[in-house]
Amino acid sequence: MQEMILSGAPASPGITVGKARLYKRRRPMVSGRHIPDMDVEQHINRFNRALSVAEQELQDLIAGQDDEEAVELLQAQVAMLNDPDLKKRVELEIKQANRPADAAIDQVFGVYIDLMEEHQEGALKRRSLDLADARDRLIQLVNDNDDTREIPDDAILVAHELSPREVIEFSEHDIRGIVMDRGGITSHAAILARSMQIPTVVGVEEASKSIAANELIILDGNQGKVIVKPSTDTQKKYDDIITEAARKQAKIQQVCDKPNETVDGAGFTLRANIEFENELPSIERFCAQGVGLLRTESIYLHCDHFDDEQKQYTFYGSVLEHTAPHPVIIRLFDAGGDKLFNVAEQEQNPFLGWRGIRMLLDKKTVLKQQLRAILKAAGRYPGRLRILVPMISSLDEVAAVRKAVAIVQGELQKEGEEIDPNVPIGIMVEVPNVAIQARAFAKQVDFLSIGTNDLTQYLLAVDRGNERISGLYSQRHPALWQLIKQVADAGKEHSIPVSVCGELASDPAAACCLLGMGITELSMTPSALPAVKQALCTRGISDMQALASKVLESTTVAESEEIFTNF
Amino acid sequence: MIKEKVTIVNKAGLHARPAAAMVKLASRYKSDFFIHMYGYKVNGKSILGVMTLAAEQGAELELEIDGPDEKEAAEAIIELINDGFGEVYEEDE
Repeated sequence: MQEMILSGAPASPGITVGKARLYKRRRPMVSGRHIPDMDVEQHINRFNRALSVAEQELQDLIAGQDDEEAVELLQAQVAMLNDPDLKKRVELEIKQANRPADAAIDQVFGVYIDLMEEHQEGALKRRSLDLADARDRLIQLVNDNDDTREIPDDAILVAHELSPREVIEFSEHDIRGIVMDRGGITSHAAILARSMQIPTVVGVEEASKSIAANELIILDGNQGKVIVKPSTDTQKKYDDIITEAARKQAKIQQVCDKPNETVDGAGFTLRANIEFENELPSIERFCAQGVGLLRTESIYLHCDHFDDEQKQYTFYGSVLEHTAPHPVIIRLFDAGGDKLFNVAEQEQNPFLGWRGIRMLLDKKTVLKQQLRAILKAAGRYPGRLRILVPMISSLDEVAAVRKAVAIVQGELQKEGEEIDPNVPIGIMVEVPNVAIQARAFAKQVDFLSIGTNDLTQYLLAVDRGNERISGLYSQRHPALWQLIKQVADAGKEHSIPVSVCGELASDPAAACCLLGMGITELSMTPSALPAVKQALCTRGISDMQALASKVLESTTVAESEEIFTNF
Repeated sequence: MIKEKVTIVNKAGLHARPAAAMVKLASRYKSDFFIHMYGYKVNGKSILGVMTLAAEQGAELELEIDGPDEKEAAEAIIELINDGFGEVYEEDE
């Protein structure tokens, strides 16, 4: 029998091989008869009991979930059960039409589902599934027909369509993958599968009809393919891919498990640069010791207003919660003002313009709202949060930020909020004058974080986005390294930490050189962490120091490039 | 009574999560809240009702808010809608 390839949409990455288990939701039977008046009350009670049991089930699932999207989806299901109109209408059906509870539920949900399907098209198609799921569960409960789902362990689940609740329940039974006939990559089932890292392909039309139970299938969640009855060649090919991926992951794990020190025992700290909540799992996966740079721009770019203190507070709190006991360094909003406010004229040189702290000090409410959210979070997790100020170019700006922090802390205390009185305030070293005057700045701040991307661009006067001259942009430029050395020395002199959070830190050879200069804290995109750690763990600090002195002596990019390549 | 037209701006439309957020917000106010769409009127405090609209990105709704705190309610609800329900998830990766 020949292999058959079915295509769908890649909803959740990963490749898995296994036997297909077909899952079909059975629509519960509904009684057709009418009930006598004397039974009305009993049926209303049954319905209300079913509502509270169904809600409790969802609350239990919510309590066991730490994925925010999953929780929100389940909370939406709870909201459906608590819908005041639903309760009114079902009770009315029982009372006035003398329908039994199950038929009344079926009838009322039927009206909602029909209307929804009538109105929906495109993206929202299939969303009535959530309603059908709530209906079926309620009907089962009023009939005391506690049909626990037949849950196949250790198999690839093939279904016409799954509800959010089904995905969550199945995930607790170690299913290897999911194939669905319906759904898109933004369907609720797909969102959940991703958050639970279950390889999934959706929208594979006819999958549940053309795949037979117990057939061997390969599910390729990266490419959105399902291979039924794979040939030995195909199996071999996928076995190799899976082995390779497992080998990579094992290697990452191996590196992660090593202590953070060089072969001769010099320690270092590696942290992650992140922006979104969904990056949090990668912190654990790549063993970052906290967040070295939490970008906050996304919060603002998704809001039309700046007074959503609660939303910010929740976001910061969630990052701190997930990264305990490590520190989280939050960078104040770092974007050009032109993107946010209706500024009439466009700036000629936005990178040299009204951005970062320059803009925040003018837009006092924006700064204040962000500081309130940050300082409240700092109070809740004392000793773990640090504030990083972007685009600093003068000591006056440092003083102004300190003053703003003190004022907000005073306000919060008056409101009875907990605060962390010692929350460290550090600055980005990205404008060259700050690097040159690093000693003066080091006296006034609690830490320095070198943003090598912008520092390089300002130092070399190169817009890296301009193709004609982008060749002039190099983070291996000797001048950059000389500046970095000055900053590192200034930090040492004043006993404050210096870190690097630019792209440079994710280059293993450059990371060795930074450690050689005495910069022991590096922060980078999470996926770059294992390679950097591997490089730092397999060499000695003396070699790194030697590398640093050679780089500092180089005079051209070509020379320094060669030194790095030969390292 | 306040009547105001709004457009759904978030990518995923008015599906379960945004609907839940809106109903939760609306329920904090005393005022009655209805939504008109396709010449059809639903209770804005009923998530099932709101979901039946299946309003997608770009859909125009007319909000009707009536009661003692209608001004505050209207402001809050309109802000939530214009804000895309704070939807920050699901950029295809």
